[in-house]
Amino acid sequence: MNKRLLIALLGVFCLSFGLAEAQTQEKITGLFAGVSFERFAELIEKETSYRFVFDPKLMEEVSVNIQAKEGKLDDLLIAIFQGSSWKFSIAADNRVFITSGRKMPIEFVRGYFEPKNQVSKLATDQQEDLGAFARNMRYEIGKDKEDPAQKTAVLSGKVSNIENGEPMLGTVIYENIGFQKSITDENGYYQITLPKGRHTLIIQNPGGYQEQRQIELFGNGVLNMEVQESFLSLDEVVVSSGALSNINKLEMGVQSISMAEVKRLPAILGEVDVLRGILTMPGVNTVGEASVGFNVRGGAADQNLILYNQSTVFNPAHVFGFFSAFNPDMVAGVELYKGSVPVNYGGRLSSVLQVSPKFGRSDKIGGSGGIGIMTGRLSLEGPIGEKTTFILGGRSTYSDWALNLLDDEAALNGSRASFYDFNANVRHIFNEKNHLEVTSYISKDEFAFDPDTTYSYQNLNVAATWRHFYNEQLEARFTAGYDAYQFGIIGQDNPLNAFDFNFDVKQVHLRTDWEYRKDLNHIYKFGLHAIQYQLNPGTNNPFGTESIVIPQDLENEQARELAIYFGDEWTINERLSVSYGGRYMLYQFYGPNTVKEYVPGAPIIESNLTGERNFGKGETIQTYHGPEFRLSGRYNLTNQSSIKAGFTTTRQNIHLLSNTSVIAPTDSWKLSDSYIKPQTGGQFSLGYYQNIGVTKFEFSSEVYYRYMSNILDYRSGASIILNEDIEQDVFNSLGRAYGIEFLLKKNTGILKGSLAYTYSRSLLRTSDEPSIEKINQGAFYSSNFDQPHHVVLVANYELSKRINASLNGNYSTGRPVTLPISKFEYGGSERVYFSDRNAYRIPDYFRVDLSVNLEGNHKVKKLAHSSWSVGVYNVLGRSNPYSVYYTPVEGKLRGYQLSIFAKPIPFITYNFRF
Amino acid sequence: MKIQNLSFFLLLLLFWGCREPFEPEIEARDLNVLVVEGYLDSEGLSSNLRLSFTSNIQDEFNFNPSALGATVYLESSSGARYSLLERGEGIYEFQHDIPENETYQLRIFLNDGTSYTSSDLKPVITPEIIDVGFEQNEAGVEVFLTTKGNPDADDFLWTYEETWAFRPPIISFDKYDPELKRIIPRPAEERIDLCYRSALNSDLILETSSRFQDQFVFRQSIKQINRGDERLSLRYSILISQKALSKDAVEFWEILKKNTDDLGSIFSPLPSNIRGNIKQDQNPDVPVIGQVSLGKVQQKRLFIDIREVAPWRPEVPEYAGCFLSADTVLVANYDAVFRSEINIPALPIYLENAIEPIGYRYSTPRCVDCTRRGTNIRPDFWEE
Repeated sequence: MNKRLLIALLGVFCLSFGLAEAQTQEKITGLFAGVSFERFAELIEKETSYRFVFDPKLMEEVSVNIQAKEGKLDDLLIAIFQGSSWKFSIAADNRVFITSGRKMPIEFVRGYFEPKNQVSKLATDQQEDLGAFARNMRYEIGKDKEDPAQKTAVLSGKVSNIENGEPMLGTVIYENIGFQKSITDENGYYQITLPKGRHTLIIQNPGGYQEQRQIELFGNGVLNMEVQESFLSLDEVVVSSGALSNINKLEMGVQSISMAEVKRLPAILGEVDVLRGILTMPGVNTVGEASVGFNVRGGAADQNLILYNQSTVFNPAHVFGFFSAFNPDMVAGVELYKGSVPVNYGGRLSSVLQVSPKFGRSDKIGGSGGIGIMTGRLSLEGPIGEKTTFILGGRSTYSDWALNLLDDEAALNGSRASFYDFNANVRHIFNEKNHLEVTSYISKDEFAFDPDTTYSYQNLNVAATWRHFYNEQLEARFTAGYDAYQFGIIGQDNPLNAFDFNFDVKQVHLRTDWEYRKDLNHIYKFGLHAIQYQLNPGTNNPFGTESIVIPQDLENEQARELAIYFGDEWTINERLSVSYGGRYMLYQFYGPNTVKEYVPGAPIIESNLTGERNFGKGETIQTYHGPEFRLSGRYNLTNQSSIKAGFTTTRQNIHLLSNTSVIAPTDSWKLSDSYIKPQTGGQFSLGYYQNIGVTKFEFSSEVYYRYMSNILDYRSGASIILNEDIEQDVFNSLGRAYGIEFLLKKNTGILKGSLAYTYSRSLLRTSDEPSIEKINQGAFYSSNFDQPHHVVLVANYELSKRINASLNGNYSTGRPVTLPISKFEYGGSERVYFSDRNAYRIPDYFRVDLSVNLEGNHKVKKLAHSSWSVGVYNVLGRSNPYSVYYTPVEGKLRGYQLSIFAKPIPFITYNFRF
Repeated sequence: MKIQNLSFFLLLLLFWGCREPFEPEIEARDLNVLVVEGYLDSEGLSSNLRLSFTSNIQDEFNFNPSALGATVYLESSSGARYSLLERGEGIYEFQHDIPENETYQLRIFLNDGTSYTSSDLKPVITPEIIDVGFEQNEAGVEVFLTTKGNPDADDFLWTYEETWAFRPPIISFDKYDPELKRIIPRPAEERIDLCYRSALNSDLILETSSRFQDQFVFRQSIKQINRGDERLSLRYSILISQKALSKDAVEFWEILKKNTDDLGSIFSPLPSNIRGNIKQDQNPDVPVIGQVSLGKVQQKRLFIDIREVAPWRPEVPEYAGCFLSADTVLVANYDAVFRSEINIPALPIYLENAIEPIGYRYSTPRCVDCTRRGTNIRPDFWEE
């Protein structure tokens, strides 16, 4: 261990040791955060008469996270060694022996405590021992007389950051004997049911930092806690399901990533990208670099429900996927459910990406921002009065300067790209029992690659949630919101044919979610979700006075979706818990609309057209309904390992029409109708979770098998835009996907990181229903994102508390492509004949990124915090093919592979916070 | 509506991207796919059907093996058979006036024992071309066509053949006769100062008339000739063929067009498997490429003379750096300079009042001989 480094690490903390001479036992004061035990011992030895005896090699893995104020060494060591096999003995001459497994027998033993005995001891006597630590101040909670018959009581409260008052999300609170636990939600709230009496609550901060509170529980009550956040993550709220929760959490296939982790990843163009963080997780891949559309466990990109708070974001990307739509300053964290989707989510087949919004800090007005190569961002947050907080944030491209540099290139003359997005979130706390949260998001993109064609798209989301706490057991949330997405193309290539094309989809949603904690063992969740869709599949109008384009307006589509759900998280015993539940979804496509009718049982093609039927306003055209099941269970093998299994079924009523392998700006959404059926699917999964070396390493492995039906596929040459009879150009496919994922994570220490490996397959097959075309003669074939091997390595090394270096390595099998395999003469020219769908692959993908983050000093109080982020994307400069294409060169067809980021791309970003 | 092919990757290329040759290993299977091409005229004009096979995409040569020795006939629903005659190189000629109210099937018997049958074909009568014309625009000259669809002929495919007269940059009316050892005037059949060049187009122009009011396709752009093009250096002719297509044929041609145009830009649609309306009888899953149509083709020819578009200065890359020699070859040196035909005498040099030239200035055949790029035989259709 590099001692100079350690000293540098500690240099930022103030340490003070005091010797209380009057007492026999020396008191210790100081903050030991993330130091090695060796260093801890060194510091104690320096200030006290204690002398440690231990084997530094064996103790290498033990790190100390503790705050002491006038504390006794005994108590410190108990806390440090809690949950591990280390034992200590303090001899009369103040020599401290650290041993593994068995205690070192010493004649004059002092402070002979087993961690497990501590609580009973505390519960019986020695009150003066309590309060020796600041953190060990004993809190008396609840009124004794309230309900003496009740054996247990509910403790609830809020955990917030001592530095800025922001709620701490994902903090684990557990009781150190029974291991009852609770994890704070995005507002920092927790609730835990405990037997009455004395307890030690461990507050496991994200990032590995721990605190504890002593309580005496007489009845139901509230304990709000202000805790120091992890030093490693500085201001960012870390949403990492900690080591403990990974094993104990009931859901499986859940991946969380904190903003801190995201910020440590090397960025493209210096822009911190939430969705790029998602791609470091096993089971998540993407078809190309310039694509934020991601594929979870072999599902298509439109099968991911992307929620910003409660709002559905239809297009999660800026500039066709070069930047994610989310402003990193407005995000508290992201959680991806790829296995068992919780019962309170539904509507998409593959996964749920819950992006938790940030709400403003409550202590003072502050802000943050960043200046990158192409974009800048700024946010402002703070309290308005006592009960309200706000946060506003915006991002924008500066100008088209980068593209303007290209103006000399005739081919790109007139290229421009710009975007902005804006968030505003407000939280108002009426009282303890009533909170109101409003989140809003708007974004706009506009770009053109030649002066004649302009593309634009817009997201708009607004939602208001009222949270009401009826009592300690029952909590309700009522949400109303509006989501809209639209895109447009204006073409002015030829004044006669100039057009203005528009597509939009809107949804109004109302939802209510309830959570009822019956007793220690049951958490019931139930609710009702209603969505009303309004979709304009496309309008095309002449643009300009000269244009002779005939206006075209496809009939609007409207539908309603109603889902009720119920679920129960049932803790059967300490080791076994199950979660079961279901949703029932009713979907209705209704008029006004005209529906074409075809010969029943025959392929839906024009020649089978028999007529059409008009439906009046509000008249139901087609109803689909069906259940969704959610079942998962967890069994703790030991305190450090568990197995989980789950089965989930899902339904999806809205489809992305995409004839390309990546999400394109011309992709539009389509509601299920008389011919296009809701997609349905199910997933079985099984997982094993293990912590190695207490919380040092976290290992997990999951296997899954998925089946999907009614996946849309397209006829050869199908056109999506302005297609009035889209049902004639699509047909249903069946999908299946399976895989195994391994994840090894190191959350603590100077070197942090993760290594993920996934083996997975994703296959499609044209269904047996009558259809005019059977892709690959009806056999299974690889989907566009079938990339069997995928390895992601993320490593972060802290050179000092202010400088850390990150490395991100990414390998995956090349994605499947359909290749031209032979050539022939036709129509006066040489033509190509393509292979079976996706019969070949582009070369494998491999990329390494590096970045260094430089932080300013870590004083809590100062004018502004700033940091620099510099790095290189694709350090090796490997030209990873994004796609391959063939083009005639001197009369011969030549194949080319196209790489987007074929060179190392340096970037630098300046971030600040005040 | 025309949506520009998104070429965002171009932008990226300029930033950081790169393009490298890609030569994947193609499994040697199914590379020999039968290709059938033909639009058979139902009114008795001669028309051709071509049978060939696909060749490996990595083959260096543009060689597509022809299907020789096949038996091909058209069979009507009432049982009448109309044979196609083999004309060599995979060409089979059809010349029958067939009743237009019946449906037909094309049947092909290859000499390897396999046989193929088309789906039912109905003659499609193409409406007449109303007008072809041209107009000058900023870039040069645009050739357009006007037609009108009807309920039976909604979709159109236009193809064209171009022919143009041109002169080499250095004109010579004479040649060196090695036997006579003197320079003589060229006979008419050996002239090299005026030639005709033809080009088959590879463009497939597709349009649906019902997109326009009254199915009136007004001034559909067929060909853009940019300023400086040799085509208009003297006189230009374009023969435009208009074919009305059935719905399934539209799909075939659109796929063919899409597969040719949209190869591998970021947002291009997935390549489509091209088939057509012909299936193997023995195994219908065996791929066959080809869309055979039956009907009447409408054609119209347009001439454009340089006088109609003047000024028009041709810039022909093949003729870059063409100069007349600076020195004059005297009579005595004719044999040494001109025998090998590396140099062609071009400009006779006369002394004042002399009848015979004292020598010739010359240039290379590339700059003098137009038959290297065309034919000196005037096409039959040519009108001056």
